[in-house]
Amino acid sequence: MAERELVLATHDLGYSYAPGRYAIRHLDLTLRRGEVLGLLGRNGAGKTTTVRLLTTLLPPTEGSATVLGQDLRRAGRALRGRLGVVLQSESLDFVTVERNLTLYAFLWGVPREVAKSRAEEMIELFELDAARRRKPWALSGGERRRFQVARELMHDMEILFLDEPTVGLDAIARRRILGYLKERARGGLSIVFTTHILHEADTLCEKIAVLHQGRLIALDTAESLKKRHGGAREISLEFADPISAAVRTEFRLALGDRPAILLAPVEGASVPDRGLVLRAEHAEELLPWISAWALAHRLELTRVSIEEATLEGAFLGMIGTDGANASEASPSPGGEGPLRPGGGAL
Amino acid sequence: MTLPPVVRLVVRNFASNLDPLTVIIRFGQPAITIIVLGTVFTNLIPSTATNGQSYTAFLVPGMVAFQMITGGVVSGNLFWLDRRWAMVEQIFSGPFLRAEYLLGLVLTTLLFALVGVGVMVLVGIPLIGLPALTPLGLGVVLLTVGLGGIFFAGLLIALGTQLRSANAYFTIQSFLQLFVIFLSTVYYPASSAPPALAAIFYANPLTYAANTIRDAFANTLGFGDVQALAVLAGLAALAFGAAIWGFRRMELGPIQ
Repeated sequence: MAERELVLATHDLGYSYAPGRYAIRHLDLTLRRGEVLGLLGRNGAGKTTTVRLLTTLLPPTEGSATVLGQDLRRAGRALRGRLGVVLQSESLDFVTVERNLTLYAFLWGVPREVAKSRAEEMIELFELDAARRRKPWALSGGERRRFQVARELMHDMEILFLDEPTVGLDAIARRRILGYLKERARGGLSIVFTTHILHEADTLCEKIAVLHQGRLIALDTAESLKKRHGGAREISLEFADPISAAVRTEFRLALGDRPAILLAPVEGASVPDRGLVLRAEHAEELLPWISAWALAHRLELTRVSIEEATLEGAFLGMIGTDGANASEASPSPGGEGPLRPGGGAL
Repeated sequence: MTLPPVVRLVVRNFASNLDPLTVIIRFGQPAITIIVLGTVFTNLIPSTATNGQSYTAFLVPGMVAFQMITGGVVSGNLFWLDRRWAMVEQIFSGPFLRAEYLLGLVLTTLLFALVGVGVMVLVGIPLIGLPALTPLGLGVVLLTVGLGGIFFAGLLIALGTQLRSANAYFTIQSFLQLFVIFLSTVYYPASSAPPALAAIFYANPLTYAANTIRDAFANTLGFGDVQALAVLAGLAALAFGAAIWGFRRMELGPIQ
């Protein structure tokens, strides 16, 4: 498949708000047409600054960037006219929700008839029908956020920047918005999306950029990040016959210096005497060894399951639970400290 | 056909400011002032105090001058609310320039002031008859109100760029409005005021605006009015310069 057109590329991009004090630094990102890029990071990691830099709301103090073929440092109105931005802060005009939508479309030069039908579409899509005659300050937090996103979608754009668009939304509204965004991305809209809800990023984003303390510490697909940084996960093994205590001990010793621990049998489990549960880093990589060990001990494995890796696990693996890790591309176990080789209790 | 960005911004400024309460406060209040104060005080204040004319005839040009404050306050408040509710940032994330946003505020000021002038004249005509306005006089009235409006808008926008508290902004704005209106010749002539107060009146641009508009209404424009217009133009440039300075240095993010 032909590679999609590059719509955004930054090189060593940075912003310093005071001499020597950087909100973001050495940022190298790319975004292709129809791609959804997730920006993840703790509060203050530099996500909003990145959005504001890429939308020309802040001038970069170092590095360079090209957005839709235009140099970010020189770009102005012409570029902004091709972008959509839902900022983190609530913004509103003091008119009804419906009027806000059409007024915003008018600001963007959307023809009246198009604006009218699009407003209806957005009101339905974002479930704002009951609120259409209300002024934005009379809306609930979730309604207001939905309104913000709906308003931005009133005009055409090539890249949509969304800074925490789903804050305060219920699960159904979130699902609906994410579904719609996914559909728009399939239609060629490129999206930059910041969120603290990592499951959302996993669902929506093709590529994830993890920012920490103003630096980009990872840029990859969610799957790859989970694989590389997902940390320790549980592997459950089930055998055809009961496992004796001696075999368990032997298994534990055999683990040797592998980064895995054998867990005690789970009480109440349906097959405690026929099962082994261990917790391991790079769980998939351990499977061939487990299989070979079972074969060597004439044990028939009837089921092997590996706990699904989560983006949250990968995220915590990258930045640590106290946020102090952040060593680039150095996988660390998910939030529990390194596993002791061959350790663990029977 | 897509309208120019400045026009779209002005339409948006009007649309978000045309709720009935705003209209009543901005235009109804001075109109009621003309009707009530004019009628009541005409019988109380001798015409000798108001250069031989009725108090209503004295008050109408004063309230026309007052429209420069109306226009200025509308834009100043609009800017403040745009900043407070992050619309400044949202607008700048779209296809607009800062200069266009400011120009949009200037045009909004002028249009609001112009509508105000029309309303005051229309309310005044049944009470004082047609003023002796020549085309030049009409031009001077509009220029005076326009320059005065830009002065007040500039002053309030400059203030809005510096303050981070809504309380502080609206308190200062109200006090400013109160003092500027009452320490001017809008409601009473400087000649009737004690000398110290009269001196303060003449440090107030609204006094020059009110006097010039009175001269235009009476068709007695002279060199003094040209000087007044020059002073007003200088003050408008100064205040708007301060607004531009503050605007360029202002952080775009919302304020709480």
